Amino acid sequence: MNDKERTTKEILTEKSSARERTPLYNPAALLILRKEFAGWMQSAVREKDRKAWLKTPRTVLGSDIPREMLYTPLSHPDFDYREELGNSGQEPFTRGIHANMYRGREFTMRQLTGFGSPEDTNERIKFMLDHGATGLNILFDIPTIQMYDSDDPLSQGQVGMSGVCIDSVDDMDLLFQDIRLDEITASIVTHYPSNTAILFPMYLALAEERGIPWEKLRGSVQNDTSLEELIRSGAEFIAPRDCFRIQCDNIAFIRKNVPQWNFITLNGYNLREFGTSGVTEMAVAVANGIATLAEMVRRGYDVDSVADRLSFFWSPASDFFEEVARLRAVRRLWYKIMKHRFQAKNPRSMWMRCHVQTSGASLVQQEPLNNVIRAAYHALSAVLGGAQSLHVDSYDEAYSVPTEEAALLSLRTQQILQEETGIIDVVDPLGGSYYIETLTSDIEKRILDEVDEIERAGGYVSAIESGLLHRKISAYFYNQQQEIEKGDIKIVAYNQYKSESAPPPINVFRYPGGVEERQREKLARLRQSRDNERVGVALTELRDACKKGINILPHSVACARVRCTEGELFKVFKEAFGLWKPPALW
Amino acid sequence: MAKKIKVLLAKLGLDVHNRGIITVAKELGDAGMEIVYIGNSLPREIVQTAIQENVDVIGVSSLGGAHLTLGKPLIDVARQEELTDSVAFVIGGVFPPDDAVRLKEIGFDAVFTPGATRDEIVHAIQGLVEKKTH
Repeated sequence: MNDKERTTKEILTEKSSARERTPLYNPAALLILRKEFAGWMQSAVREKDRKAWLKTPRTVLGSDIPREMLYTPLSHPDFDYREELGNSGQEPFTRGIHANMYRGREFTMRQLTGFGSPEDTNERIKFMLDHGATGLNILFDIPTIQMYDSDDPLSQGQVGMSGVCIDSVDDMDLLFQDIRLDEITASIVTHYPSNTAILFPMYLALAEERGIPWEKLRGSVQNDTSLEELIRSGAEFIAPRDCFRIQCDNIAFIRKNVPQWNFITLNGYNLREFGTSGVTEMAVAVANGIATLAEMVRRGYDVDSVADRLSFFWSPASDFFEEVARLRAVRRLWYKIMKHRFQAKNPRSMWMRCHVQTSGASLVQQEPLNNVIRAAYHALSAVLGGAQSLHVDSYDEAYSVPTEEAALLSLRTQQILQEETGIIDVVDPLGGSYYIETLTSDIEKRILDEVDEIERAGGYVSAIESGLLHRKISAYFYNQQQEIEKGDIKIVAYNQYKSESAPPPINVFRYPGGVEERQREKLARLRQSRDNERVGVALTELRDACKKGINILPHSVACARVRCTEGELFKVFKEAFGLWKPPALW
Repeated sequence: MAKKIKVLLAKLGLDVHNRGIITVAKELGDAGMEIVYIGNSLPREIVQTAIQENVDVIGVSSLGGAHLTLGKPLIDVARQEELTDSVAFVIGGVFPPDDAVRLKEIGFDAVFTPGATRDEIVHAIQGLVEKKTH
């Protein structure tokens, strides 16, 4: 059987049984430990604890993995340092992708920013950069994410909310006013493949107009099919296969033309926040990564020419050690997949590089200042797990987008971790812990099992089309809600230790007024002043590219240049691909 | 046997977050109510569907900030159609504290914020339907 017919798990299992082992513990010592452990169990451990030796932490977005009361070498007796860990920067990269990790490069402090008009967000970006933020992270408003123009009837009442509104390259220009595109790294949180194919070309057209070569641009887009087809609630969808094709078109175009740009962020974050376990979060993102690379190889690309720019995006929730172990586990698993499933040669292709954002769904409205503590623990687990960049959610995001004060506190949370705690001076400080290593191996196995489930159901795209993943996730979050309501999952000041007194007033962010009207006026002027004949031609050529199966990006860049609007491009996609009805979630 | 309570559920506008309303849809279904879920919709569409389906309750969800800018038009359209006396209007989602009060003033019969339990939602809806139909 060739590799195409075998699942990733089958390939990895075969490779793992063929390798030479160098177990760390000597068998004679293990024999003695085992005997003494049995004695300790009888003499020192109470019967109640013996019976409940395995306990499953009940946490928000947890994975229900049972834990021992005490971890010892016996928990993971064949522990093999060379095979399972290696040194940092060495295969299998469990301990980190760089030998010196944060001594060499500190984690990037990349706080999300976006609200109101492009001008409003531009001001906030400058505020964050002035206070030491080291990267940009731009979030769009709901109509922009959903690909409707600000003057579309569907956008009414929502323009500039939850993010910044962008209709055309002119708005992109205002958003990046006074910011040198060749001097920053910009994470442009486009979410979907479809809006990546619309919004990123506007960024490219802007660079062109400012005389900055695309080769000099650095940053990332999301470009993730799960976000568009699995997690999103929306009015109109194109089919998963068309969406996945656009995802790969984006990759091919950006790879060739914007060489320093990260063209896909395999997004586990929003999936987990939607409501699923840390294991499923990683399994779905890894399955997408596998499907994407397989498609790029099918299109004739050498796997190393694509894989070195893949990155991941994770949500760390509240089960602290599980979160640390998860990052280490998926780093090792991704290495194995690249090495054995794809036979990558370049070590960089085997790196699971990731951005991490503290869990927003874990924040609660009751006593919102407690969220500062929650986010700080999430951030700590991400750094101990070896993340490349970090966003810390603000405590008031349980109500709205953060105020300037709360956004600054989030940045300070990161700076305190980086400058005051000393945790960045030693690489993978929890490595070697009996508990962490056992949990890391357990989680790696569980992720691979769920990847296998997806592959056996026909692969990543089929598992979305059929509703398999929709059903799995909705079952998880429904069940979790019942557990929270029963108090099985405890949340302080929410279902435990509830405060009787009235909550103190909270200063909540208010969206700036008049944004929708101003965007409407801007769009009316744009539609008048641009060359509408060229707009028509550009849109027709885009439609043809969609239908012919050739890469659509050169055509969407052409659309951006002549100032087509976002909604006009989405309309072309809908016409060319037709609409798809996602599976019901309940 | 009492008539089954019929509930229309919708996401208000283009809001992308639907975990909450899907959870509520399942919970109300489990409590024996009939659910019509129409996904992302604008106020006029919600009211028109509610009339066609002859529902007892309209429940909308908003987590993206548009609870007032779309919630108000929803109640306004419902008033024009003379629906507010016979149909209960409930809204759930993430709002600043003052806005939760404001939503009641606008005319929502019940406002649910994160932390509302299944029992609270089910009992509130049963009570409202009782009140509106008698």
